[in-house]
Amino acid sequence: MDDKAPRPSGGSGPSGTTFVRMIRKQTPQPRWGGRRYTRARLSLSDVKRRWVSRFGVFFLYCLTFLAVTPLLGIFIYIVNKGIPGLNRDFFVSLPKPVGETGGGMGNAIVGSGILVSLTSIIGVPWGILLGVYLSEYASSRLARWLRQCIDQLSSIPSIVIGLFAYAMIVVWTKHFSAWAGTFALLIILVPIVARTTEEILKLVPQHIREAGLALGIPRWNVTLFIVLKGVRGGVMTGVILGIARIMGETAPLIFTAFNNQYGFSGLNQPTASLPVQLYTYAISPFEEWHQQAWTGALVLVGIVLALNVISRILFKKSEVRRD
Amino acid sequence: MTSSENSNVILEADKIHAWFGSHEAVKGVSLSAVMGTVTALIGPSGCGKSTFIRTLNRLHEEIPHTRVEGQVILEGKNIYERGVDPVGVRRKIGMVFQKPNPFPSMSIFENVAAGLRLAGISKRSLLAEVVEQSLKQAALFEEVKDKLKAPGTSLSGGQQQRLCIARALAVKPPVLLMDEPTSALDPISTAKIEELVMELKKDVTVVMVTHNMQQAARISDKTAFFLMGELIEWGDTSQVFTTPKVEKTEQYITGRFG
Ligand SMILES: Nc1ncnc2c1ncn2[C@@H]1O[C@H](COP(=O)(O)OP(=O)(O)OP(=O)(O)O)[C@@H](O)[C@H]1O
Ligand SMILES: [Mg+2]
Repeated sequence: MDDKAPRPSGGSGPSGTTFVRMIRKQTPQPRWGGRRYTRARLSLSDVKRRWVSRFGVFFLYCLTFLAVTPLLGIFIYIVNKGIPGLNRDFFVSLPKPVGETGGGMGNAIVGSGILVSLTSIIGVPWGILLGVYLSEYASSRLARWLRQCIDQLSSIPSIVIGLFAYAMIVVWTKHFSAWAGTFALLIILVPIVARTTEEILKLVPQHIREAGLALGIPRWNVTLFIVLKGVRGGVMTGVILGIARIMGETAPLIFTAFNNQYGFSGLNQPTASLPVQLYTYAISPFEEWHQQAWTGALVLVGIVLALNVISRILFKKSEVRRD
Repeated sequence: MTSSENSNVILEADKIHAWFGSHEAVKGVSLSAVMGTVTALIGPSGCGKSTFIRTLNRLHEEIPHTRVEGQVILEGKNIYERGVDPVGVRRKIGMVFQKPNPFPSMSIFENVAAGLRLAGISKRSLLAEVVEQSLKQAALFEEVKDKLKAPGTSLSGGQQQRLCIARALAVKPPVLLMDEPTSALDPISTAKIEELVMELKKDVTVVMVTHNMQQAARISDKTAFFLMGELIEWGDTSQVFTTPKVEKTEQYITGRFG
């Protein structure tokens, strides 16, 4: 420890104004035994403490490194493997039959885009409104019950959600479809958006709501246009993280949207998606398909990473604006 | 009270009781305010001033498990009458809180315009006019006229409080409630707001909670002294401060308890 600034010496210093003395009287001063602290000589225990501290910090660095290495490793590996297949064709062409070279994942990229957009268009407003309800009517019995359900829902493995959507939609309509996939993805997205929205709304102090109400603004307007608007950055963060999550979901889509090698042909038809296409190619025995799978992985990781970064930036912005 | 004064009563509380759960925080308070006057509510902490003032614009009922009994007559009509919409009541009775609370991530302009906008007025020129007028009324215009687009929260505490006053004034309420509006402010901002209140009372009837005796004496016409949820004494400010009728009042204003 090196104390450059002298510590206050309990009233023995130069006499201040009466005001200062008054304050001093009220705030108890630590006693330093009358002796001023200077750059004291280090005792043995100080040296020991320093080394323990240094070792602790080093240990933490090691742990951090260990945690980050696999992440970096995966990323570098995927980039390495994926880059060779990354060309214009990959984004716009349909898959070629086995044996023919070339082709791409145009179907899967469009399909993922459609599935995720459709799910977001329905699920984001739904989740936000649900979150608003949960936070603004927090103590009502219905809200408590809903919150329980949502929490349970988010802990169900996504493969089970896929099976459920299969049983509910696919069995009923007798065919795979984008709608069935959307249904499954909604079950994942809505709880995420609802819960993050709720948590963020709870950060808005009650007196802001009261200020709105006291202005003669109806309650729902206060909630939507003052409270929610005030934390829109935070809410958007939750939304984007949710979208990133469904972007990468495979299990719920395998039995619902299934796959489609011929490109998008309607919301009532089987629809390809990046994760499912990637999975299909990865487990295939063909070398060209493996390359496609790696490139698909690269694109998927890129998209999810980009979404996460955007959400970070939005959240930072919203924090800056809050104070 | 003379009869001519009586006809000018704009706001009248009649035997108001207010509960938090089973705790009765206001116990039968009757009080009235004449148009264009400032009424100061004083009393020790926890005696129910805030609770009472919040029954006047039906804000008390927004807290879960609360209850109000009694009547508040605003411009001849009981606001607690069955079927009266609290939203309409609050549009006529503005409120300024102890802590400045501008709406987050809204600009200065948007803050002042919020009440009008959410009431459905969207004409830009009209909004701009009202915003300027309200900011002038709140003695803030000169300081912010070049940065109306800056966030409301970027202002200093005293400026924020005047922004909140401007926001309340923008919907042109005939009555303004103020709950310790200067307790979080420095002496200069406080003086500004006091000056402002005296200026405002031409157009607005003010009911103000304050812990500052000098403030009550300086700017109010009527003073009401609360103790443990009851109204102990109420009258002209000069009378209450110089010749209080009740001993408790005298003890309180001379600082012997509270
Ligand atoms: N949200 C609440 N829930 C339960 N009781 C409350 C609540 N707010 C206030 N009370 C109680 O009601 C009584 C009156 O409180 P109130 O806030 O009206 O006092 P006050 O006169 O405004 O005090 P101060 O001068 O400190 O602001 C107090 O006993 C307080 O404990
Ligand atoms: Mg109070």
